[in-house]
Amino acid sequence: MQESDHSIVQAVLAGNKDAYGALVRAHSATVFRVALRIIGDEADAEDVVQEAFLRGYQRLESYQGRSTFGTWIYRIAVNCALNRVGQAGIKAEFRHGEESDPQDKTVQLAAREADPERVLLSGEISAAQGLAMQRLTPTEKSAFVLRHLEDRSMSEIAEILEIAPNAAKQAVFRAVQKLRRELTPLRGNA
Amino acid sequence: MNHLGDEEMVELYYGEGTSAHEAHLKACRQCSAQYAEFKRSLDAIAPISVPQRNAEYGDRVWTNLRSQLIPYQKRTAGWRSWANWKTVAVAACCAIALAAVFLGGRYWERFATKTTAVAVNPQAAQRVVVVVLTDHLDRSERMLVQLEHAASNDPRDNTELQAEARDLLASNRLYRVTASNAGDPQMAGALDHLEGVLAEVANDPNLSAADIERVRKDMNTKGILFEIRVLRARGSDQESESRTAKGATIL
Repeated sequence: MQESDHSIVQAVLAGNKDAYGALVRAHSATVFRVALRIIGDEADAEDVVQEAFLRGYQRLESYQGRSTFGTWIYRIAVNCALNRVGQAGIKAEFRHGEESDPQDKTVQLAAREADPERVLLSGEISAAQGLAMQRLTPTEKSAFVLRHLEDRSMSEIAEILEIAPNAAKQAVFRAVQKLRRELTPLRGNA
Repeated sequence: MNHLGDEEMVELYYGEGTSAHEAHLKACRQCSAQYAEFKRSLDAIAPISVPQRNAEYGDRVWTNLRSQLIPYQKRTAGWRSWANWKTVAVAACCAIALAAVFLGGRYWERFATKTTAVAVNPQAAQRVVVVVLTDHLDRSERMLVQLEHAASNDPRDNTELQAEARDLLASNRLYRVTASNAGDPQMAGALDHLEGVLAEVANDPNLSAADIERVRKDMNTKGILFEIRVLRARGSDQESESRTAKGATIL
């Protein structure tokens, strides 16, 4: 795949604009996933996908093939999402528990009876988590999402966010601390 | 061993802890209990379920994107033709100037040899080159400083910056090639880096504050500014050396 992506990039740079379509089709789902995880809003995540591929095309000459095209465009997408997070009005949605219902957006707490009081409380926790995530700085939030949800290593996070590995580690650490500080009191009641 | 702190627990949770920390966790009941609570709190933070995107989604993204893309050959050809036109114009001006200097020099030589015994000073030509290059580096430095402080989102405010970048771009290319041919890799390298920035700024059709920020970040303009300052200092030294040597070369 890496080799074929590389040859597609060469074809695009040689003037075959339509060849870029193959790269878009191959990587748009991954880019959408990470954008949605960082931003938390589907429409905004779709905008980020468009923006990332547009930027990728414009900077394709700087792609040197050291990493796969997938990693390269992923990095651009994270940065686009980071910029969006910095803008006002974007709300991240994180849910509590092992499962969530995408239809009615209710939250299920693991192995407990869903009495009305508990549902109300779990809704509060979910809202608190959303708020806690919003209070993280864009770097902390992205680093946390990449580490906790995307399962990226610290060195990968450092490369994607263009920061030193220790700074990436500290960003994840600060995010964890802040989230726990805000959510632990609520969880004690649940 | 001290008890584990939050930082060590984060590392352990994400599988990046040391073997010493793992051993401590097994041996210490207090840390083990704290870690269990820590793990529970992090396990509870689950992602939103990401709606699946099938192959049609990729097609849709591509359809929306396609019309916005300019084929590379056309874009490069357009830029090249502009660059070539500029290069030819600058080269023609240089040729005319050289011819004028040559003819003027010959005339002056005939006139001067009749009156004085002063020989042509080879340092003078070098001094002219150094002065011209120093001027280019001065202007480039000013442009980079301006770029560092540009923060307007209105492309009209950045017009002056782009005009200066375009102007510098043509001469920069000539100086870079000359430096490269003259075996000055430091100068050629710095001018090469500078050329990238100039091209980015000059050719952006809608230069916004975000674009400028991207150029600053992607191309490390601060580093280039530093390189230019070092080269300018070197140029000033050469210029003063050349001036000092002037007296010695008069016969």
